[in-house]
This record gives sequence, structure tokens and C-alpha cells, in this order.
Amino acid sequence: MSAAHVLADGCHLMGSNNCGFPAPGAEIFVFDPLFTIGPFEVTKPALLAAICAVLIIVFFWAAFGKSKLVPGRVQGLGELGYLFVRDQIARPMIGVKGDKFVPYFMTMFFFIWSMNMMAFVPFVQFPVTSRIFFPAMFATVAWAVYMYLTFRKNGFVGGLKNLAVPSGLPFWVYFILTPIEFLSNIFIRPFTLTIRLFANMFAGHMLVAVFSVAAWYLVSPSLIGMASASLSFVMAVVMTAFELLIQFLQAYIFTMLVASYISQALEEAH
Amino acid sequence: MDKDSDPPEKSPAGRHDGSNPGATITSLLISGMLFWGGMGWLVDKWLGTGTVFLPIGLILGLVAALYLVYVRFGRD
Repeated sequence: MSAAHVLADGCHLMGSNNCGFPAPGAEIFVFDPLFTIGPFEVTKPALLAAICAVLIIVFFWAAFGKSKLVPGRVQGLGELGYLFVRDQIARPMIGVKGDKFVPYFMTMFFFIWSMNMMAFVPFVQFPVTSRIFFPAMFATVAWAVYMYLTFRKNGFVGGLKNLAVPSGLPFWVYFILTPIEFLSNIFIRPFTLTIRLFANMFAGHMLVAVFSVAAWYLVSPSLIGMASASLSFVMAVVMTAFELLIQFLQAYIFTMLVASYISQALEEAH
Repeated sequence: MDKDSDPPEKSPAGRHDGSNPGATITSLLISGMLFWGGMGWLVDKWLGTGTVFLPIGLILGLVAALYLVYVRFGRD
């Protein structure tokens, strides 16, 4: 891995071994398996995802396992999360009938958020969702829910109509627009959901990595060397703090867009 | 949870619009160009015309998708 490589080699600008900037690339997202369970090779992202799942289960178990009328501290925090998801995501997007999806949105929101937050945890520092498989799986589940609800609500013909036929247009236009609507609903929307989350986390992690490696690379025993190295280090810290905001925001946006996607399935067939 | 019994008008859900324009528009534009551009590409392959119908398809798809966006969000 390049970051570790740089540290080990003592690769500096104007250093004795005269090496160029070892820019971190896509290889910082690739991990060797840590251990294997049967046929499964468990890598760092997979392990982190499992840890996040356990953390969330433990937290919400503690919050709601024995819920009381007057909430304690953990339950209060849990209810804060519940109300956030219900009032900021489910109801604005779907309305009151979206309340029954709140458990799904909550699972998704907190799982994605905690996996994003792994980029901030010292010595772990890897956003799990920057491996495209994770967002892709969330989008696949959202797609399955969307399809199921579309056909359950409208029946087979009505469901197909809801998927593919925009309403209120002259007849000949349908020939051109129906394929677009259909492709958009069944393929492109989950695809853009995946890419949005993946690319944000990928780019954020890359930025932090570039500034961190640069801070080490620019160190040299001179005023300008120390100044530029410190500047780069400060940028790494600033970007890490900025990423903290992005991690929350992307989890929120992903959940909100899934809610919007699902609300489409619940619309009356026109 | 007893919070469920809150009257709905207390939450910021008095009016919800369901669809999120930004994401839907992106998705429609992409699928418009993808579908009709793809059709154009296939026609090019089929007729062996090089690159004639691909750009036509891309533009047709983009125009159609923009029209669909207008129908969905602009016609109020």
C-alpha cells in the first residue's frame, strides 16, 4: 500500500533518494484478506461493516429493548434518531403513510452513516461505503422494495403503467417517452443512488489520503519544507472535519432519495 | 412508541411532494440519452453507417427527456 510505503521509504521532496510524489491511487481501497471463515475471505471493509452492524444492533437494543414511558438517556438518544428519520425523511417524502417504512429507513440511515463514519475513527480510517458493493447492495434492496410496492399497490398492469407511462400526453409521444421512463425507474435510479454515495465517499477518502501523504512527502529540513508540510497537514485535518459533515449528509441524502423512490411506487396509477 | 400518536400536522409533513426533482431529472436525462443513443448505435451497427444515428439518437433522447422533465415538473 502506497501510504505505508511512503512512510517506510522515507520518501521526501528534495530527499536523498530523489523520489517523486507517491500519489495515492485506487490501491488504497484494496485490502488483503485479514482472515478467512470457511470459503469467505474477510477484508477490512467487510469486518468494519460487520462491526457497524453489531454496534447498531447493540445501540438500538439498549435504547428500545426495554423502552419506558419516560425515556432514559440511551432511549432518549434513540428516540431522537427515530424522530429525525420520521420527520425529516419519511413524512416529507411520503407523508403520514410513510410511517410504516420508518424502521427500514432508520436501519438504512444509521447503517450507512456508521459505515461512513468509519473514515473518522482513528487507526481505522476507512469509509466502508467507498467500496461500491456496499452502496450497490443498499440500492438493490431499495429497488426490490420499490418493485414489490409498485406491483402490490397497482396490480400487474397498473404497476407496469406506473413504471413506464407518464400521464397526460398526446398518443404518439408515448412511443418515445415510455422507454425513457421505464429505464429511468427500473435501472438508472438505483444506479445513480449507488454512484452518488460511492463517489462521495471515495473522493473524500482520496482527498484526505493525498493531503496526508503530501504532508509527509513535503517535510524537509528547511523553512519552506516545514511550512508547506504543515499547511498540507492542516488541510488533511480540515478535510477530515469536512468529511464528517459529508458522511452524515450522504447517509441522509441516500435515505431521502430512497424514500422519494418508494413514494413513487405508492402513487396512484394515473 | 407512544410518539406515533402525534397528530401528523405537528410534524413538517403537512405538505409533502413525494418526488425529489433533482434525482429524478438526472435519472431521466441519463436514461433518455442512454436509450435513444443506444438505439442509434444499434441502427448504425445494423446499417453499417458508421456514426450517423448515434448522435441523432443522443440528441433525440436528450430532447425527449427534457420534454418529460417539463411535463413532470414544469407544467404547473
